[in-house]
Amino acid sequence: MNTTNRPIKALFISDLHLRPEQPAVAEAFFDFLDQQAIHAEALYILGDLFEAWWGDDNPDPLPRRIIAALKQLSQRGVALYFIHGNRDFTIGKRFSEETGCTLLSDAHQIDINGKRILLMHGDTLCSDDISYQKYRRIIRKPLLLRLLGKLPQKIRRNIAEKGRAKSQQSNNNKAEYIMDVNAETVKQQFVEHSADIMIHGHTHRPGRHAIELSDTKGNIKGNTKSVERIVLGDWTEQQGWLATLTDAGDVALESFVIHPGEQP
Amino acid sequence: MADNMITLHTNYGEIVIELDFDKAPMSSANFLQYCRDGFYTGTIFHRVIDGFMVQGGGMLSDMSEKESRGPIENEADNGLKNEIGTLAMARTQDPHSASSQFFINVADNVFLNHTDKNPQGWGYAVFAKVVEGMDAVNEIKEVPTGSAGPHQDVPDNDVTIDAVTISEAYADR
Repeated sequence: MNTTNRPIKALFISDLHLRPEQPAVAEAFFDFLDQQAIHAEALYILGDLFEAWWGDDNPDPLPRRIIAALKQLSQRGVALYFIHGNRDFTIGKRFSEETGCTLLSDAHQIDINGKRILLMHGDTLCSDDISYQKYRRIIRKPLLLRLLGKLPQKIRRNIAEKGRAKSQQSNNNKAEYIMDVNAETVKQQFVEHSADIMIHGHTHRPGRHAIELSDTKGNIKGNTKSVERIVLGDWTEQQGWLATLTDAGDVALESFVIHPGEQP
Repeated sequence: MADNMITLHTNYGEIVIELDFDKAPMSSANFLQYCRDGFYTGTIFHRVIDGFMVQGGGMLSDMSEKESRGPIENEADNGLKNEIGTLAMARTQDPHSASSQFFINVADNVFLNHTDKNPQGWGYAVFAKVVEGMDAVNEIKEVPTGSAGPHQDVPDNDVTIDAVTISEAYADR
């Protein structure tokens, strides 16, 4: 496997929410794999690659095509990593084997050029959304996931579709701030992991946020430390987002045009 | 002027069109309904490419997209060709995704015609033709364009549909 001499150290994407109803986004993803990801040493997918995932045995054409495309990328020498999102947390071992990707736990660290980068999906940072965090603690229990995985495909598909509708409904009623990250939770993560940069998705609020950490428990050398939180954007039929990591440990956040709406 | 027509009153003049209810019944009915609802009034021709087509019917002058009705079925397999002066429905990569946006062909665009019932070959459904006012269309196709946000080929100065009139012959459609 030749992972040297690639100009990009790593690429980060999240929140593509791939689904058959948005073929333009799926096509943009395939183009991204072919034309950009192939030039990177590693591709990190930080969750919600899929709008819904009810099992690695999903036989639908789009998931099969995506799995094949990811497999091709990993076979061509790009290291592939995946962190679960709140939409595709049931992605498991079979997906990992079929695509050649490594499943990472949420809050994964990369050390590069003296900097520590913390990777997360981002849903755990939204700690103001108490009802979601409760649901998350229950639904992510391995035993429950294993039991759910044993249900017939039709039932799992149904559960996923209902869950998706329900989540959309309840999110419509939630205040704006609840849907964003909690500043204190973010700081805790930085301190806990001694991170310099955090990259996450989930909130669909792409941007870069400088944060001054002040020392409360003696965890930080000196009294303060400047860190940065980088938020990936969601992919729509108009626009996609990615972050690029260089050898020097610099991260660039970029958006690109996908499909400017209806056309001939 | 013939009497079974729809007239788009643009700031470049009138474009009179005739719907083909026989060959494109769903697209024609869909277009007529948008006209009746006054939907097109205030929309712009937001994508203008000389030698290809001029597209409008869905964006406002600030390049925001107007909320349309749901998508319609693609009738591109009706035998009508994307020839100069014909109107066809714009759409996303999904063949059956047209709603309000349409385009006027200003070239014979053979590659937009239906060849096969798959996403690559579906083509773009022709449903009407310009019967008067090609001079206005020809003026529009030549306006200077640039990019606006993610959109390319956007006229520098708005090309607007200020009003739409429907002849009585369409009253019972």
